[in-house]
Amino acid sequence: MFDQITGSELIRAFALLGAGLCMGFGAIGPGIGEGFAAGKACEGISRSPEHANLLTRTMLVGQAVSESTGIYSLVVALLLIFVV
Amino acid sequence: MDTVQLAAYLGAGLCMGLGAIGAGIGEGLTGGDAARSMDRQPAVSNRLMRNMLIGQAVAESASIFSLVVSMLLIFGNYSSPTAPGPAALFGAGLCMGLGALGSGLGGGMAAAEALMGVGRNPGAERRITSVMLIGQAVAQTPSIFSFVVSLLLIFGGAETANSIKETALLMSGLSMGFGAIGSGVGSGISAGRASDSTSKRPEAYSKLMSTMLVGQAVSQTPAVFALMVSLLLIFVPQSVPVTLPSLAAVIGCGISVGVGGIGPGIGAGFAAAEAAAAVAKNPSKESLFVRTMLTGQAVAQSTAIYALVIALVLLRLI
Amino acid sequence: MEEITRQWLWVIDLWGHEFTLNARTLVMTWIVVGVILFFVFLATRKASLVPHTAQNIAEMMLEAFKGLTDESIGERSQSYFPLIMTTFIFVLISNWLGMVPFLSEPTRDINTVFPLGLIGFVVAHATSIKVKGFKRYIKGYFEPFFIMFPLNVIGELAKVISISFRLYGNIMGGAIIIIVVSELVHNWLLPPFLQFFFGFFVGTIQALVFAMLTLTYISLAIHE
Repeated sequence: MFDQITGSELIRAFALLGAGLCMGFGAIGPGIGEGFAAGKACEGISRSPEHANLLTRTMLVGQAVSESTGIYSLVVALLLIFVV
Repeated sequence: MDTVQLAAYLGAGLCMGLGAIGAGIGEGLTGGDAARSMDRQPAVSNRLMRNMLIGQAVAESASIFSLVVSMLLIFGNYSSPTAPGPAALFGAGLCMGLGALGSGLGGGMAAAEALMGVGRNPGAERRITSVMLIGQAVAQTPSIFSFVVSLLLIFGGAETANSIKETALLMSGLSMGFGAIGSGVGSGISAGRASDSTSKRPEAYSKLMSTMLVGQAVSQTPAVFALMVSLLLIFVPQSVPVTLPSLAAVIGCGISVGVGGIGPGIGAGFAAAEAAAAVAKNPSKESLFVRTMLTGQAVAQSTAIYALVIALVLLRLI
Repeated sequence: MEEITRQWLWVIDLWGHEFTLNARTLVMTWIVVGVILFFVFLATRKASLVPHTAQNIAEMMLEAFKGLTDESIGERSQSYFPLIMTTFIFVLISNWLGMVPFLSEPTRDINTVFPLGLIGFVVAHATSIKVKGFKRYIKGYFEPFFIMFPLNVIGELAKVISISFRLYGNIMGGAIIIIVVSELVHNWLLPPFLQFFFGFFVGTIQALVFAMLTLTYISLAIHE
């Protein structure tokens, strides 16, 4: 199938494969978690619509924090693609 | 027996096996909630029975697609020169099998909550049923995407000698299959909560319907991304040079966008579900809830977008 | 599939540097600008106290967005309202353009969408510097720990990527699906239905999401 596989090609291949795996599986958790936060914010606003702004901001800050693991995955994937 | 036939049979088995999981669990949930509802309201048991059968019939459509694909794989003609290669056939099976999982489960969850709603407020039965049916129909969209990709893979064309192209066909099936799971489950969750909310406030029916549809449309985004990448993978040119890094890039690309869509799809569905519940509590503030839901869903989807970006970067490296 | 990958490029030679212009996107953007100008002309012509149809639509849209910006930004909203409104109308008309035969959405091109995201990003950060002062703005990147600096920077840059690729992915995905399905089925019913779904429904929602996220990033920069 391949004429000959050199060591550097093997490393490059695993780096690309790892990038895909990293971003794919890393996206699951933040996606579910941030959706939860958005849902609970809607529930909170339905109870006290006058605090909508405060609740939305709290939701966004909470989501930003839970997104950090997704951003770590993105960083690792980009490093694997462009640096390794 | 050659490899093409082997791959087709293996794909057919996995297609129907995986495809039965979602509908099996989902319809079980529906049946369970129907029984619970009947226990509370024995007087309307015939209406509950009717709704249960309607809901289960829609939830089953995803696994019927699986059945069609596995039949096509089993009885296909593989001796002609234009027959597809083993990777495409195996990919088609996996695509429809995985793709039926989420929609089957989501459709069943929607029907289950709708039945609890009918049990609570039998007078609003017609409205609850229509919200449930429309919600379930949207929740089936990811499985229709998977069906389209499977058919493209099965009828797409001749076997190729290029191993990158073969891997790309397999991965296009896998990415669409995985990518359909999250959107299917998420849309099902929001459809269920919207039907349940309709039973609590039937007069806000049209507002609930529109909130549900907007929320579901956003939670379909990961499935649309997966479909886009899998079509790009199907149309990878024959002439790409075969190297190990390109092969790994193709595999990584499919996994990234497929698996990466599961979480955001489910999460966006949660947000849409809670927004529907909020609209039922306070219909006059509908636009406020829809706005909060859209902002929350958009942020929750950013990880699916990162996965799409990584997949597109990997695709360019082939 | 060639329809998607086919490019229509103008290469201009300027003092020894080659500039490549994506002609299709450029022409479509001009059409969008033309449509918006025509609508504004209709809406403002013979403006009266009892509004006519076009004026009515324009006023309804403006009022809805004015309320939205006032609510989330507060007293400074007057300086940001034009930006948010313009972004929304431009993205909306761009997304709708794909429904017209022989035309395509300029938002299908990442080169249109990325600068739009970048504008919102720059405005949000400029606002943040103006409100907090330069020192506190920079200090925000070193929180909660000093080591987090590079990750915070990437987190901010990722916002531009996510806001622009969200629009691009949805519009491009819809376009690819429509082309492939039309080639598969040769049917007159399904493709127009898909055109309507992706152009009108998804296009409107994504335009709203884009404008609202820009607004949200600005309001976060003011209130945090």
